[in-house]
Amino acid sequence: MRRTMLYLPGSNPNMLLRGHLFEPDGLVIDLEDSVSAGEKDSARVLVREVLRRGEFGACEVTVRINSTDTEYWRKDVEVVVSCGVSGLRVPKVESPQTVKDMDEEISRAEEKSGIPRGSTKLFCLLESALGVWNAYDIAKSSPRVTAIIPGGEDLAADLRTSRSKEGAELEWIRRMIIVAARAAGVDALDTVFPYVNDDEGLERETGFVKQLGYDGKSVVHPNQIAVVHSVFDPTERETAAAKRIVDAASDAEARGLGAVSLDGRMIDAPVIRRARFTLMRAGLLSDGQRG
Amino acid sequence: MTMLDSRTAQAGTLESMDCLVTVTGPADGRVIEISGSSAPRFKISMERRVNDVLDSLGCDSGVRVAVQDNGALDIVLGARVEAAFVRYREGDVR
Repeated sequence: MRRTMLYLPGSNPNMLLRGHLFEPDGLVIDLEDSVSAGEKDSARVLVREVLRRGEFGACEVTVRINSTDTEYWRKDVEVVVSCGVSGLRVPKVESPQTVKDMDEEISRAEEKSGIPRGSTKLFCLLESALGVWNAYDIAKSSPRVTAIIPGGEDLAADLRTSRSKEGAELEWIRRMIIVAARAAGVDALDTVFPYVNDDEGLERETGFVKQLGYDGKSVVHPNQIAVVHSVFDPTERETAAAKRIVDAASDAEARGLGAVSLDGRMIDAPVIRRARFTLMRAGLLSDGQRG
Repeated sequence: MTMLDSRTAQAGTLESMDCLVTVTGPADGRVIEISGSSAPRFKISMERRVNDVLDSLGCDSGVRVAVQDNGALDIVLGARVEAAFVRYREGDVR
């Protein structure tokens, strides 16, 4: 599950060592915007040591590296991949070529470190109109790509607008990205909600992206985790209903019946699939069991 | 080396769970100074960590390493010493 992925500044030991205690589904250790140009070298060393010897609980650990138009990204890849992270969050992806370049660099680093080729996944940040326009091609450009994510602030600037609490400027961007993600078979993860003291606004925005079909949301403050989880987690009633549907489907399959019925109504395949997904969200099925 | 070659490099901060490491050279041998919140209890293990990092980086010249600690774990101390020493060696004085 990737309901929440918490950004942690790569130069801040306190957050790097304690971030997992807030129990987000994932961590995004940041070497990009939260680290000043003069601290890139020391942050990379600190992040390497924390990745090698730190503890992260059940969190999926990823690192946001610097973009391919900087002098830092190759060194970031070499160091971070050698630590065996789940994936890299790559900023400013605009075309399949960016993914290809990244893929080659990661493969070299994996080989050098004795890590199975392909095990480092890519989380692509689409932060320009061009990147969003190419979303499907980017998502399909490498089997490493596991998620695409709109980058709110840069996108707003590229669209010649600004971020608003209502999110009108990102509404169609989010719709385009969910369609591209589903067509390509990757996750759609949402951008951050930057107003850390506005829980109502966060809940409203999370509800919107959940309804679109998003898998989760990036967060910038530990206090945002519970709010986002509460939106993505199914209610007890939803879970109970889903369980009855899945049980009925399993029973029909065991008895060799082609059709499934519950309370006198036929249940079709998409309903069963949705019910399995609800149980997965409730933690009652693993990702591989949802069918 | 003459006195004119003397230089200083730093890494880290004085924020919670961090430490500020200052490397100055040349010095008469390897000198390690530990101060701050953990110094009274963990001075020996911190000195050992600083020495291990300097050895792993091939430090064979005289340097003074001053650690101002604010609760840095071993992982953080090692990373800050490495960053400061590499900056010192590469002339990245700040």
